[in-house]
Parts: sequence; C-alpha cells; structure tokens
Amino acid sequence: MLAIERLSKQFGGVKAVQHVDLDVRQNEILGLIGPNGSGKSTIVNLVTGVFPPTEGRVRFKDGDITGWPPHRVLAAGVGRTFQSIRLFGGLTVWQNLWVAQNAQSEGGRGVLRRWLAVDRASMTKIEATLEFCRLLDKKDELASNLAFGDQRRLELARTLAAEPDLLLLDEPAAGMNAAEIEDLRERLLALKRRGKTIVLIEHHMELVMTVAERVAVLNFGQKIAEGRPAAVQDDERVREAYLGQRR
Amino acid sequence: MVDFLQALVDGVMLGATYALLGLGFTLIFGVLRRLNLAFGPTILVGIYAGSHVGLAWPGALAAVMAVTVAAAILAGIYVERCSFRALSRQAPVVSMISTFAVWMQLQELVSLFAASRTMPYPSPAWLPAVAAGPILLRSDALLMWSGATAIMLALFVLLYRTRFGTAVRAVADSSEAATLMGVNVAAVGAAAFLVASAVGGLAGVLIAQSQQQVTPYFGLWATVKGLTAMLLGGAGSLSGAVVGGVILGVVETQTLWHFGGQWRDLAAYALLFLVVALSPRARGEPSL
Repeated sequence: MLAIERLSKQFGGVKAVQHVDLDVRQNEILGLIGPNGSGKSTIVNLVTGVFPPTEGRVRFKDGDITGWPPHRVLAAGVGRTFQSIRLFGGLTVWQNLWVAQNAQSEGGRGVLRRWLAVDRASMTKIEATLEFCRLLDKKDELASNLAFGDQRRLELARTLAAEPDLLLLDEPAAGMNAAEIEDLRERLLALKRRGKTIVLIEHHMELVMTVAERVAVLNFGQKIAEGRPAAVQDDERVREAYLGQRR
Repeated sequence: MVDFLQALVDGVMLGATYALLGLGFTLIFGVLRRLNLAFGPTILVGIYAGSHVGLAWPGALAAVMAVTVAAAILAGIYVERCSFRALSRQAPVVSMISTFAVWMQLQELVSLFAASRTMPYPSPAWLPAVAAGPILLRSDALLMWSGATAIMLALFVLLYRTRFGTAVRAVADSSEAATLMGVNVAAVGAAAFLVASAVGGLAGVLIAQSQQQVTPYFGLWATVKGLTAMLLGGAGSLSGAVVGGVILGVVETQTLWHFGGQWRDLAAYALLFLVVALSPRARGEPSL
C-alpha cells in the first residue's frame, strides 16, 4: 500500500533518515519504534509532504507521491496525527472535523455548494466519526476547552474525518493513562476491522506489541530490524539500540 | 439631549462603515498574519472607477456600484499578488512595506486618469430623509448603515456558518496545523483576501455615495479608519472590529457636534492611543 524506497533526509550535516526501505501492506498495523531522535517522525513528515526528501521515493497505491504538498497527500488518502497536539482551539469539536473533511473535496464542480453549505451527509459522517471516537457528547465544545485525553481523541477523529485509507499515528498514546490507552487499543483494532491501514509510531511498547502484526525498528535514521513483534523483541541489535551497547 | 442622541445616531451610522473597513483589515491580518496598508487605496481605485462610470453614464447607479466593487476586487488581487503571494509568510515586515509601495502606485494611478483631484460620486438622491421624532435620519446615512449591517451579517454567515468560513478561521487559528490537515492555506488566504477586497469595495460604495465626492486622499483616510477600528476592537477579533468601528464613529460625531470639526480626528487618535496603551488585548495575538 505504502512503499518507501531508499528514503533519506539530511538537515544540514545531520542525517535524520538514511536509506530507509519500508513496505506497509494493505490493512495491517505496522509498529514503527526506535529511541528518541531515531527518525520516526521525520519519516512521517517526509511521507506527508511537510518537507521533501533528500533522496528516495514514496509510493502510495502504485502512484509516486514523493514531494507532494500536504493537502494533496491527504486527498490521496494518507492521514496523520501529531506527536504534539495541534487542534484548532478556537473552533468547536465538530468544526475541527469539518475543516479536515474538505481535503477530500478540493476543486472540480460543485465546489461552491460544498464550500458554502452544511450538507446533511457530511454532518452525518462527522457525527458517526465523533461517536466512534467517543466525543459526540462534546460536539459543540471549543477544542481548547477539552481535557487532554479528549484532545488526543479529537486529533484522531479529525484525521479520520478526511477519510484516509492509511493512517500515520505519531505517538497517539503519549500522555495517556492506562484506561485511555486501553480505549485507544480498541479504537485501533476497530479501525483495522474497518479496512484501514495503520502505521503506529509509539514508545508504549506494550501497546505496539499487542496490536501490531509487524514492527520496524529505527536507530540513528536507519532501519535495523523488521518482523513479527516477538522476533523483533529478541533481536540483538534492537536490544542494543534500546539498552545501549553491552560487552 | 437631542443633540447627544442625534450625534449618537449619526455616529452609529458612520461607524457601521468604519466597522466594514475594520473587518476587511481583520480578515487579511487574521488569515495572512500580515498588515495590508494598501487596503484603503484598493478601495480608492474602486471608487474612482465608479466615479468615471458615473460621469459617462449619469443615473446608472447600479453600474457605478458594480464597477466600484469590481475595480476594488481587481486592485485587491493586484495587491495580493505583489505584496503577499510573492513574499514569504515569514517576512511580515517586508510584506507591510511592499503594501506601502503598492499604495503609492495605486494612488498615482488614479491621479493619472482623473480629470480633476476631486471627482464626483453619484448618490441615490431620490431617497427622502426620515424623521424619527426630533431625530433626523439622513437618507445617505441610513443607506450607509443598512447596507453596512447587511454586508456584515452576510460576512458573519459566510465565516461562521460555511465550510469556507470554518477553513478561514482554522487557518487564522493555526496555519501550520491547517496545512498539515490538508487545507490549501495559500488558496484560503487568497480567497480571504478576495472577500476582504469585496467588502472594502462595498464599503467604498456606501461611503462615497454619502460623501458624494472622492479625492486621492481617500486611500489614506480609509486605511487609517480601518486600522483604528481593528485596533480599538483588539486586533484580530471580527466582532471586535465591528465594536471598534462603531465606537470610532460615535466618538467622531460627538466630538464634531460638541467641540467642532478641528477636534474630530484628534479625539479619535487620542482614544486609539489610550486603548492601545492600556489594554493588553489590543496588543495581543490575533484570533478569529
């Protein structure tokens, strides 16, 4: 579904990502882990067009999306959430989703009607998404007034509103308590049942190891391991990356 | 008491057009985070174009209005291309200075094509003045107020009830997040600029039909009034710009009535200075 080929990014002299190859298969949950600064978020930013890669290609559904601007990447079907919450604080919960929804409807005929009216169909979709993310009762609250856990939920809901096929979730469990993480695990599995493909970037190992079918490990911008969770956990290089060099 | 009420009513009617000017400034400032000093001169171009039409076809009031708004929109597109799209969002001061350069261009342009410095602008003269008890409502002022109120309502519906408006407010809230959420920020910015120019053109029609003439200084006048309305209302708040515009109008007409015309602008600037100096909100971050 998503194919990253020899992707590299250099910031000045710093090689943030070096020749990473990664295949994401249709309808899987792929865990992307690695110590801080190993290049995980950089990969998300490269795929979603925040900045262009120095080298390498990004393919999505057989099309080359390398260097596309963010709104086109999202319209093509790649959605993302942010490590640090970036909601539209001055908009209500449902309006946050409304903004994201328009990525799917850029240009073409009927653009005025779409831009100038609240049609019943998009409202129904927004409400269904809010219900799925357990935010329906807070629909009309300002995003900035939500509790932290609800803001994280809204991040996910807003991305879902654009109806992406592939979700890149950048540390969705950061700052969540145990109950909220359990809720997130359920949401992720439900999304998979609905046919979504998910790349889960996470430090919370227990979550990654229980929902992901495959795990890829980054260290210093390079992929050092890939495979089933249990196999990756036992990999010598992964242990070194996380625990430091022994011997 | 009647004097006070009459000046208050006149002020509210005048203030409604200041509010429109303030809204135009706020829209551009909120979405693009850059100040468009050429906003007044943009309207100036519209009014001069309308004036030419009025001279060529006396009585064609609808055509005068349509040309005024259309020319203001064209001038607005020119400003957007030169001073905003061509320059980085990260260089707000460069943008602002370039709007000053475009201002001079537009002002020279209208002087070049005008037969005289003061150009006439047609007014719907058939409208009668309305007397409400002891208070007299001049027809041009009434038209100014009702027109401005209708435009404001339409603008608020556009910004708060449509997907386009929500996208505009999202960009004003956080352009970075909007970009990453798939909003074409450049397109929304250009569209907001277009809407602001149209609002400016409509405000120009309302003001010019009341003053019944226009000089090249109108650009400076409109920029100062719009900026003052925006700053009085807290720099970046849409409803604030409306309140700021009305307050400015009332202060001006009250000063004019009680102290004379020479004190009018001084009072407005003194008020602006006090508000900016005393209120942290007037210097705060914009949010729509």
